[in-house]
Amino acid sequence: MENDLIRIREEAQKKLAAMREECDLVALQQQLFGKAGELTGILRTMGKLSKEERAQLGASVNKLKQELEAAMEERRAEFRKKAQELRFQQEALDVTEAGVSPVAMGHLHPMTKTYRTIRDALVGMGFQVFDGPEIELDDNNFTLLNLPLDHPARDMQDTFYINDKVLLRTHTSPCEIRALQTFKPPFRFLMPGRVFRVDEVDASHSPVFMQIEGFVVDRNLNLANLKGTLDAFIHAVFGENVKTRLRPSYFPFTEPSAELDMSCTICGGKGCRVCKGTGWIEILGCGMTNPHELENCGLDPKEWSAFAFGVGVDRVTSLKYGISDIRYEYENDARFLTQF
Amino acid sequence: MRLPKSWLQDYVDFNVTDEEFIERMMWRGFELEGVEKELKDVSGVITGKILSMEKHPNADKLTVCQVDLGDKRAQILTNAKNVFVGAIVPVAYAGARIGNHDFTVASIRGVESQGMFCSGQEFNLSDVEYPGAEVDGILILRENTPLGIPIEKAIDRDDVIFDFSVLPNRPDCNSVIGLVREAAAALGQKMKTPIIPHIEGEGDVNDLVKVTVENGDLCPRYTGRAATDLKIGPSPAWMQRRLKEMGMRPISNIVDITNYVLVEYGHPTHAFDLACIRDGHIIVRNAEEGEKVVTLDKKERVMDKDMLLISDPQGGVGVAGVMGGLNSEITENTKAVFFESAAFKASNIRHTARKLKHMTDAAARFIKGVEPVNAQLALERCIELVSELHAGKIVGGTVDVCAADLKDREIDVDVSHVNRILNTNLSGERMAELLATIEVPAKASGNDLHVIVPHFRTDIESGIEADADIAEEVGRIYGFDNIPAVLMNGDTFQGSLAREFQAEDKVKDVLVACGCLEMYNYNFTGPAALKALSFAADDERNRAVKLLNPFGEDQSLMRTTLYMGMLDSAARNIRRKTGYGRFMEVGNVHFDLGGDLLPREEKRIGLVFFGEQESFYTLKGVIETVLDRFGVKGARYVKNDIACFQPGRRADVVVNGRKLGELGQVHPDVLSAWDVPGPIYMAELSFRDILDLSVDTPAFQPLPRFPVVSRDLAIVVPEDSESAHWIEIIENAPVDVIVEKGRLFDVFRGPAVGLGKKSLAITFNLRAEDHTLTDEEIKKAFETIIRVLAENGAPLRQ
Repeated sequence: MENDLIRIREEAQKKLAAMREECDLVALQQQLFGKAGELTGILRTMGKLSKEERAQLGASVNKLKQELEAAMEERRAEFRKKAQELRFQQEALDVTEAGVSPVAMGHLHPMTKTYRTIRDALVGMGFQVFDGPEIELDDNNFTLLNLPLDHPARDMQDTFYINDKVLLRTHTSPCEIRALQTFKPPFRFLMPGRVFRVDEVDASHSPVFMQIEGFVVDRNLNLANLKGTLDAFIHAVFGENVKTRLRPSYFPFTEPSAELDMSCTICGGKGCRVCKGTGWIEILGCGMTNPHELENCGLDPKEWSAFAFGVGVDRVTSLKYGISDIRYEYENDARFLTQF
Repeated sequence: MRLPKSWLQDYVDFNVTDEEFIERMMWRGFELEGVEKELKDVSGVITGKILSMEKHPNADKLTVCQVDLGDKRAQILTNAKNVFVGAIVPVAYAGARIGNHDFTVASIRGVESQGMFCSGQEFNLSDVEYPGAEVDGILILRENTPLGIPIEKAIDRDDVIFDFSVLPNRPDCNSVIGLVREAAAALGQKMKTPIIPHIEGEGDVNDLVKVTVENGDLCPRYTGRAATDLKIGPSPAWMQRRLKEMGMRPISNIVDITNYVLVEYGHPTHAFDLACIRDGHIIVRNAEEGEKVVTLDKKERVMDKDMLLISDPQGGVGVAGVMGGLNSEITENTKAVFFESAAFKASNIRHTARKLKHMTDAAARFIKGVEPVNAQLALERCIELVSELHAGKIVGGTVDVCAADLKDREIDVDVSHVNRILNTNLSGERMAELLATIEVPAKASGNDLHVIVPHFRTDIESGIEADADIAEEVGRIYGFDNIPAVLMNGDTFQGSLAREFQAEDKVKDVLVACGCLEMYNYNFTGPAALKALSFAADDERNRAVKLLNPFGEDQSLMRTTLYMGMLDSAARNIRRKTGYGRFMEVGNVHFDLGGDLLPREEKRIGLVFFGEQESFYTLKGVIETVLDRFGVKGARYVKNDIACFQPGRRADVVVNGRKLGELGQVHPDVLSAWDVPGPIYMAELSFRDILDLSVDTPAFQPLPRFPVVSRDLAIVVPEDSESAHWIEIIENAPVDVIVEKGRLFDVFRGPAVGLGKKSLAITFNLRAEDHTLTDEEIKKAFETIIRVLAENGAPLRQ
């Protein structure tokens, strides 16, 4: 009997080693432990043995059974692992193939992105958004801003007229008048919107463009505050490394007036085509609000001070993204819009 | 304003580099527009001496010259007759450039020429400026001219001309004197201010000329002096040179004097031939309506009654401030001249120049603003130059009709206010020092700065702007770059975005998430585009605001809908095959309210979809998504008859009986108007209406506690009936359970259903609020629904 067990063990181990597929394990299982199985057969013969012999044989058979079952289990695991490896191999993907997006997302216009960047920087400095109409009264666009009818500077901004009292606003500054007429100072407003000028379309001009006006009214505001505010906002939009300079200029609605230049974002200040070799780019006009404007709106210019700045969103967008021709911004070509 | 460096050097030492000078001027508000060499079109031309001349072996008219160029020799061919051995001449040696012409080594009939000789014309020289410059041939240079030096040095034309932009508040700087005043301060020097002597002359101009100013408002000052025994001829070399540097053409001494004074003092003057002023009487008056004057350019000008005319008793002799009359022109035969130097009202000259479509140097300066004191300076300077040029005999006396106040204004400025504006801490004395550098006299006493505003500073006001004006001057001289950047302090402000601005962001973000690209279209459109959209007569979109001065008919209206711009851009994308067909725009439209009222402005959300993947329903799906995101519930899509859409494929979006917008497939007629293939789908929604209906903070609805049962059915309905109608019937059927979430999931047409009919497959949910539905309840409800449908003409599909 013991010899039988040794033989069964050897044969089973041989079979296991030679086995090629998982389904062969089932046959071996049957062969050993099935109803007509070899080990089952041995157990069946045990009735003829003495009690001691029975116990001894029983233990041997059990031991062998456990051993073989463990070996078969091990083999099964091996087969499964192999099979899985094979499946993985078959299912391997070309990971460089294009992904499938859930919904193809669209794109905001780059001007909207610029507008939001500027706006968010100013909101962070305590500004609130306010807007006025695109079609304005001459009074708000010019006269109350210290540009009376015969002011030569009216020629600076060629204007589309609806009639002699109504026009397409040439800048967002009339929002200053509306803010002064609507709210009690102190306040800080940013006023975005479209503006219009009689400019034939070319690479750097558009009859329609977008401006953001910043307007702060408070007691004791000064030129240094204007500088500080503009620096903070330019750094927020263009990064901390950009240098700025404030140089004297002229606008009828500010006194003193200034223009803000920033170091050229294209060449970093070394001089290039965009900055015309100067290393500087004019980015916005600004100044301390003219006392006449405050007085025109009922504020005492000795008590109240104000500053304002107007920045062209189109221009900042062109600079920020390196867009060489402003016309792209109104053509709405998908190949342009999908870049941002 | 052009400023030749040599002219500047008459008044100051130029003690810095050009770059440094330009930067300093920038800090004072004078931005550089450009720098030019005096001979800007010439480079690489050098002097050379002709060593030998031989006839060209194969060309009779050409001479082969060996030329000494100082450090090298060259062989130059010429056909000029006036050259000779030993002559020193300008040589455009290979590599030189004149105008657009590049000189290279060339071979002419087998003989090489390494360049060309140049004539005086190539350097824009007159005989007065360089003897022999106008000769027909080559410019023969002076015998002592060094060899091999640049021609601009040899003929003393190596000046540099700066061109600065002058801001509109500084008309005084549209003159050399005014600009030099600022330049001197920028260079840290005191300008050698020229003093114009009063030349007495003989006799009295008032005996020769009488001036009557009828409109003192338009002509606050009119001054004049005269000279007789004129010797009309060319002006001297120095004057010709400067006029050329300023971009002007020398004509004759008297005319050149007025042009010279124009740029030197920035004040236009005019020279009349005194003999042509009839009765010796000048009348400054408004023109008669339709009165005609022939100006110096030989053009007849038709005046109107708002224009100011310089006339004599018989008619016009000049258009005030714009151009003199041909009848009183200075000619070579003029014996006596009357110089006019007047101040005219800027706005009136602007009106005249614009109406006549004739903008002259003089008019441009009057429009920018001149002042009456400078008028007299300019006049005296003309007389001084006549004397200096020995051009005639000065007549004594001055005609001066003056309604203007000529006294320098005096203002008192609050020193602490100036410091508050600039965030500086300057004493009044320091401010006075700074102002003195630009010839604005000031005296400090305590907090008061007493400023005497010089006549040329018309920009410094006397009223409430005075402190700010002086602050600007002080700041400008002190240097804006010396003022530190300081963040605002004081009250804390809560920065924020109002609800409508947040909503605008959200609309755009939702639409981008739905795959839309954002468009920015112009606000302009035209009658043809509006007409092509064929809005009904009472549609407010026909009430477009009209521009008075549009670029053209097709841009003469403000858009009343975003459709035109969106179609333009859609057509562009289709033509260019950009491969994208889903766009949105958020923008304003305007409706004319008539009269002087401001138009009504409304923000609209526009959508335009095209391409294979798009349909009426993809467009509708995006609209539904937007409404869902804004919590706008209960939208109904109601067929409309908006004519820009194809019938049967157009609908209003209605919530609670209010139209929020519309959508549809663009009508073929509109497609052909835009010359673009379809289909294109468009929609426009009212931003304001969505904002009004939107729910920012939805109230929580408890979830159903008991199971939901889903049921489907298929009914046969007339072809032209709408699924929403049947779903409404299902959901409103008289049953004891809740029927909800009805949805169409299939449509079938075919012989089995019958002609003019379609089968709709609809799914819906049944549930109860407080218990699990029993089979009995479900069966009963389902049967009731089927019965109600049948009663309404929708039997179950067999």
